[in-house]
Amino acid sequence: MTDTLTNPKSTARTADEEFTAFVEASATRLRRTAYLMCRDWHLAQDLTQQTFTKMYASWKRIRTSANLEGYSRRVLMNLVFDRSKRRSGSEIVLAELPDQPGRETAPELRLALVDALARMGVEDRAVLVLRHAEDHSVETVATILGVSVSVVKMRNARALARLREMLGDDF
Amino acid sequence: MNANLRDQFDRAVGDDPGADVGAMAAAAVVAGGRIRRRRRLTAVAGAATVVVMGLGVVAGVNFQTREPAEPAVTVPMGFSLAQDCNYRSEEKRATDVAIFGKTGITGRDRAAIRDALGADGRVKEMVYESNQEAYERFVGLWKDSPEFVKSVTPESLPESFRVRLKDAREFRSFRAEYAKMAGVQDIIGNVCPPSAPVGGIK
Repeated sequence: MTDTLTNPKSTARTADEEFTAFVEASATRLRRTAYLMCRDWHLAQDLTQQTFTKMYASWKRIRTSANLEGYSRRVLMNLVFDRSKRRSGSEIVLAELPDQPGRETAPELRLALVDALARMGVEDRAVLVLRHAEDHSVETVATILGVSVSVVKMRNARALARLREMLGDDF
Repeated sequence: MNANLRDQFDRAVGDDPGADVGAMAAAAVVAGGRIRRRRRLTAVAGAATVVVMGLGVVAGVNFQTREPAEPAVTVPMGFSLAQDCNYRSEEKRATDVAIFGKTGITGRDRAAIRDALGADGRVKEMVYESNQEAYERFVGLWKDSPEFVKSVTPESLPESFRVRLKDAREFRSFRAEYAKMAGVQDIIGNVCPPSAPVGGIK
């Protein structure tokens, strides 16, 4: 063993530096993903901070993991799911959409993408965000969310159809 | 259509107000470090906290699926549980007891607790540690984590009365009585061998 490995002081410093570098590289994207999930920049900031805090707490265990990005998404999504379970969707107080908006929806009534996302189930929203905003493969999304590939495909198809319904045909 | 969708997502985050990522990292180090320490204490406590880890290995993703459960016994930051003691979350019996004082406990409340313990026939031994002493111990313990030490002041650590009881079976009534006293924050009971530090904490 080298001196560096046996000196706990320098090991600790390196791990902290590594962690800081990871946060600096990934914070902006993770915050944006959090925002797409919750439609609120303050809350997004909060959720991202909590994600990094949890990751730091387990940093020694996860720092060598093959996919820290995937891990961070998993922690973030779990926080989002927990939150929506606790609040049981009460944060979304928008009026219900008509059942069959489709073609009749006037352009001025079209919702912004984030508003449309907010009206979906949190699981469907997560699939859309991870798959299309973050560009992860179906397999990676499945791993992040801890569900099977076919569940991801099914939710993705359902969520895209719903999105098209809300945002219009040319979407 | 997917390309269009990606554009839309990019535009949707276009009003990002920005954030200080360096500050985020620093805050995570402080708060995450606190969680780590709490976990370490639990591990020492030998409480049956089994960490179930699943392994995701699809598409090169490889990470554990669950965060460890919350600790069964928590002691305030800056304290650790003595290694030889046996901690359970709901103790009926305890040889050793740690009574933590509230932040800003008054001199009168402190004296009342001290006098009560001094006159208590159930108490075999008693050791008192002030929050200043706790802080000095803490600084020595964490000298390798200066950012963490900076985040802590003597006021953020509690003072403690560490007690060894003559009879472990008296713990329940002992705790019930002292929990009612003014200035008491928390009481933790432990089953320790005579060789352990009084109170079962360090």
